[in-house]
Amino acid sequence: MEWWGWLIVAVVVLAVLIASALVTQARRRRGGVIAGGGQRPGEGERGGRR
Amino acid sequence: MTRYVRASELVKKPVVTFDGEDVAQVKDILFEAADGSVRGFTLAGRGLFSGPLKQTLAAGRVHGLGPDAVVIRDGTALSGDDQPAVGVPGGGDVMGATALTVKGTELGKVVDVIIEGSRQPVVAGYEVESSGPPRRRVLLPVLRPVGVSGDMVVVPDAVVDFAAGDLAGFAEAARGLRHRLEEE
Repeated sequence: MEWWGWLIVAVVVLAVLIASALVTQARRRRGGVIAGGGQRPGEGERGGRR
Repeated sequence: MTRYVRASELVKKPVVTFDGEDVAQVKDILFEAADGSVRGFTLAGRGLFSGPLKQTLAAGRVHGLGPDAVVIRDGTALSGDDQPAVGVPGGGDVMGATALTVKGTELGKVVDVIIEGSRQPVVAGYEVESSGPPRRRVLLPVLRPVGVSGDMVVVPDAVVDFAAGDLAGFAEAARGLRHRLEEE
């Protein structure tokens, strides 16, 4: 293969690795609203707010 | 005047100190299912490649919860690795959970959580998207017993009568529901 062929392969592999790292990080950083206390429907006297 | 904000508006907000240092960004909002009180936040780093941080931020350490940033006094407001996290055991992420009335009527999927911003922020309601066509989003206030888990949010039947279309009408809806529940 010509030298520029290897260059293209290297660039593509690098791009895939960077994209994959960014997607993984975005997933790890994605936020949520976590309910605690493990209350189940029907339990407790109060809920949602005080 | 009570200020309501969507939880999604707080996620990814920068955490800034009085010195203007941008120390982290909000990742998760942690609340106590039993009383709705917001206990704190998990954090993520600010860099492009930085992931979640081990440090957490307790709600009591927040100086200001504005539309653009969460302000803290300084970096010591964040819990250290040696301190207990603000995480509350059990439960799960309510985003995507099914909203159900106590009589068993499915209202749709929870797409956001409404937080009443005050000195001690509390979960004041849920934004729910109905499943059947047409898809419609409504804001449901919650004031009374409600079961919360990662899969299901159970609300009293009365909240259906006080659904609001947007945040502007939410305060009125919450007042109406409070009135109704006091009369019962």
